[in-house]
Amino acid sequence: MSLVLTGIGTTSGIAIGRVHRLTPGELSLPEFHLEADAVEAEIERVQKAVDRGQRFLADMHEKVTGEGGDTARELLEAHRLILRDPLLVEATCDRIRDERINAEWALVKQSEHLIAEFKRMDDDYIALRREDLEQTVNLIQRELAEQPPSLIGSQVPHQLDTTIIIAPELGPADMAVLHQRRVAGLVTEHGGPWSHSAILARGLEIPMIVGVHHALDVLNEGEPVILDGHYGALLASEDESLQRHYQDKLEVTRQHRTDLRRYLSRPSQTRDGQVFQLFGNAELPQEFQRCRDDQVAGVGLMRTEYLFMGDALPDEETQFRAYRQALRTMDGLPVTIRTLDAGSDKLPPSMAIGQGPNPALGLRGLRLSLAVTDLFRKQIRAILRASVEGPVEVLLPMLTSVEEIKHARRLIGECRRELRSEGIETDPALPVGGMIETPAAALAVDRLAAELDFMSIGTNDLIQYVLAIDRQDELVSYLYEPAHPAILELISRTVDAGRKHEIAVTVCGELAGDDQAVRLLLGLGVNRFSMPPASLPAVKKSLLEASARQCCKLVEDYLNGSGTETGEKLLESLMRDETA
Amino acid sequence: MIRRDLKLTNRLGLHARAASKLVQTASQFDAEVWLERDSRRVNAKSIMGVLMLAAPCGAELVLEVDGPDEEKAVEALAGLIERRFGEDE
Repeated sequence: MSLVLTGIGTTSGIAIGRVHRLTPGELSLPEFHLEADAVEAEIERVQKAVDRGQRFLADMHEKVTGEGGDTARELLEAHRLILRDPLLVEATCDRIRDERINAEWALVKQSEHLIAEFKRMDDDYIALRREDLEQTVNLIQRELAEQPPSLIGSQVPHQLDTTIIIAPELGPADMAVLHQRRVAGLVTEHGGPWSHSAILARGLEIPMIVGVHHALDVLNEGEPVILDGHYGALLASEDESLQRHYQDKLEVTRQHRTDLRRYLSRPSQTRDGQVFQLFGNAELPQEFQRCRDDQVAGVGLMRTEYLFMGDALPDEETQFRAYRQALRTMDGLPVTIRTLDAGSDKLPPSMAIGQGPNPALGLRGLRLSLAVTDLFRKQIRAILRASVEGPVEVLLPMLTSVEEIKHARRLIGECRRELRSEGIETDPALPVGGMIETPAAALAVDRLAAELDFMSIGTNDLIQYVLAIDRQDELVSYLYEPAHPAILELISRTVDAGRKHEIAVTVCGELAGDDQAVRLLLGLGVNRFSMPPASLPAVKKSLLEASARQCCKLVEDYLNGSGTETGEKLLESLMRDETA
Repeated sequence: MIRRDLKLTNRLGLHARAASKLVQTASQFDAEVWLERDSRRVNAKSIMGVLMLAAPCGAELVLEVDGPDEEKAVEALAGLIERRFGEDE
């Protein structure tokens, strides 16, 4: 018999395994009155349960990374706020004292009272909060019962890598335990793609389908199933060819990933002996670790915008710690830190300069740093202080003129002198580089290069500005053409200027992470590429198998008009070169 | 004790994110912090309390702070509301 159940896939992953049904046993919630002298001990029980709950959520908060991690963290933050809420905790303690009842009972009464209050408010928004409240109360009840914060106790096997869990719904605590036990996949009967468990599944990278109605009614314990997150389908089938199909698909994905990883340790040299270097783009601490694990030559682009995402601007100390941590993780490998590349919308209103009519062409990138020099000084001081921990470089975004470089260098010099007078040690040779991402910078690149220690080409912005195309605009996105001769011309000029002035040129835009486009870049003379760690294996394979000479020839012919006619065809012929 | 009248000017009013910021800010101070809207009075250190105010954009609130660090607390909270919780518009 074949059975297909459908719901909504929250990630595109595939999982194959056997069903484990998870039906929540009801917690027994005792209700009794207390003697007067037992009241304080009961209140202490509540406090301790809340403290343990806080610790659990804090732990969970640290574990959540990956795609969707921010939303997941925000959600956990909401639970932490509720767990500290006087309306929940203090009011429960008051009930224990005033009504002389035990903790569980008082908590039930108080949460029912709060839910009744919420119900009176006719607002979808509040309905969502109710789910948060219920889950938080449940967490405290489990802590009070001294049960693990999750549903998943000893009845569930410890290794779940061939198990697909089917449950009515799953709370954050369950998700944490399931993740630890390396669960293959998850199916819930309730919930939508934005329910808490779905958000967490994305953050924890677990294949999951939500909203599969009656799944528990039709699936038996131990039954083999296939979860296809892409189609939101759960297949329970004895059909061997179907099983083989998915097994192969899963195997191919896994194998492909392991295969590609083998290339990471090979010497970085094309088939015809051209040496290249691969760098990672990293922002969060775990991304630096990933870069190290993937054997990069360094971090070619450390974005710093995330440090500025909070309510308040980060102080020098916070930034210093982030940069130092990055350098320590990279353990002697160079890290290129790009100064804040944001628009004035990132400023708190107290400092706001207002937003111009066209933010893309407005006060952003280095322009903002030079307009609000306090902001820039703090960042530079933090980088200079970290510079004794390892090789570090400063990268200036959104350059258009030589004056901007001079201005930035003056400020950097001032910060260095300030620190020296404060008796703080810095690396005297902090290299200063610039992003080549505006047409002005690319056209005047020879002059800019004379003032810079290195250059990085930001292909995303360069393409948008040169072609005058906003990729997000679907009416014109068809014109977005990375291999447009105008783009290639500008990259080529930048590479030439780098050679002439003997400074390094790295490409750090999206093109550098694309296994086809890197051959195009190779053909333009680029030999330093910086990309998200996930792209490293495929890019490395593509470059190892390429012939630099051949790529140069194809690109040259294309630019002369004597070769392939379209960018698309050029990319095709660049890839065909493999077997030559 | 300090009382101050305030008006919500951010587009979404006291929605989840704004309420969280308000509660987190209020919780940094030792002073007791209360918010009143019409006849309803809630503890501003309580996320659920603040949400129950269901205050939309344009709502008028009274902030009441009592404790050793009341001045700082009023500044911080009034500032947060006046800056529209750091929202874009």
